[in-house]
Amino acid sequence: MKNHDDEVIISYFLKAGVLISVSFIIVGVIILFVKNGGDGFTLSQMSNYNYALAHGIDSKSVSLNKILSGLSAIDGLYFITVGLWVLIFTPITVVFIGWVSFLDDKNYLYVGMASIVLFNLFFAMLVVPRFLI
Amino acid sequence: MTLILIIVKFLTIIFGSIIAGFIGSLTGLGGGTVLVPVLTLFYGIPFIFAAGASLISTIATSAGSASAYTKKKIANIKIGIGLEIATTTGAIVGSLTLVFIDKQDLIWIVYVIFGLVLLFSLIPTIKKIGKEVPPEMKPDWSTKLFQLTGSYYDERLRKTIKYHGVRWWLGEIVMFFAGFVSGLLGIGSGALKVLGMDWAMNLPMKVTTTSSNFMIGITAATGSSIYWYEGYINLFIAAATAIGVLIGAFFGAKVLVKISNENIRWIFFAILSFLGFDMVFKGLHMINFIITFSLMIQFFISIIISIVLISILFYNSKRKEWSDKNEKS
Repeated sequence: MKNHDDEVIISYFLKAGVLISVSFIIVGVIILFVKNGGDGFTLSQMSNYNYALAHGIDSKSVSLNKILSGLSAIDGLYFITVGLWVLIFTPITVVFIGWVSFLDDKNYLYVGMASIVLFNLFFAMLVVPRFLI
Repeated sequence: MTLILIIVKFLTIIFGSIIAGFIGSLTGLGGGTVLVPVLTLFYGIPFIFAAGASLISTIATSAGSASAYTKKKIANIKIGIGLEIATTTGAIVGSLTLVFIDKQDLIWIVYVIFGLVLLFSLIPTIKKIGKEVPPEMKPDWSTKLFQLTGSYYDERLRKTIKYHGVRWWLGEIVMFFAGFVSGLLGIGSGALKVLGMDWAMNLPMKVTTTSSNFMIGITAATGSSIYWYEGYINLFIAAATAIGVLIGAFFGAKVLVKISNENIRWIFFAILSFLGFDMVFKGLHMINFIITFSLMIQFFISIIISIVLISILFYNSKRKEWSDKNEKS
């Protein structure tokens, strides 16, 4: 990497990602406790691990399509969901910034390698789940 | 009344995660390696929920600490992204393997593997103490082709250190296994990543540890999304662990700078080996293999074995130091 400011940008992105994510999680937890549950489940159902395991109260039951309606209904579970997904996307931005800066340096070997990494990431997010369900 | 109990439950998970994050960052193994055994052994949380919560929390600590290291320009982002090809592929294969094992009701295997991985990753961690700069090796074809060179400013030595990596292909192979282990067990597998860059590619320790730090997040993000759709992430647990591990790792990093006495770390190695043995026993207990005695006895046996083991290792490493001193004087 020729342009050494990339490292500073990456560092800010990582820090911002963690801060945004953790604040969503904390807000979500507070709402969860105030409302005694979320997404149709009570807190005692969620915190009983074996009950949750047997009845599928987990990330599978939280529909990502309902994030917007969940947030506007001030549902704690959806705030936590957003927080966790921001967390998942945070390291991906590093690869993306790397990709852009390799392109800037005309380092096409590494543009290709970063593309493979990005492909793997989106493969895991979009393609693999279809086979699992 | 029940609400208070649930709040207490939530706070105890946070408390356990803080300790896990603290020990993980002090020993350099990462929060997940400590968190999964703590959640399964002490909180009775099913393995898949523990792995899910742990993997997603690993991203938080990785990103948090990596933001500090990349700013100092010690981490080599180029080499890191190049190696991520193997770790992300490994993470996909690993997490799909966990899904398969879980569906076959063979989760005891994962307990045993987890314990063994934990015990074996202690070896390079214990050995590396004190070693900073790798032995000189000649650049090979991959050094030039994949531009495995770099430099960083060493604050303790007060000079810029130039370095180059070798055997890129070997690094990729080790990284595939690191990714596989990460996806299978829900940990960052930082120890294996360090092994890949330190042993296989002959990079300096500072570059290795800091680069692996930000790589862990990318690998964990790959596994986490598969975990998410499989329903391995219980939001109640994951919210608590993400916050707790982050706090623990933060304090661990602060304390690590101040610890001048390496001997303190041996206590944590003993705790880790106890967790490793206990995970193996728990897995074997699930299928009633040889070991059929109760949980309490498993606990005591693990404690005794780990104390004996760590005492021998501790004595061994000290003996070397003493004999070195005697030769000098």
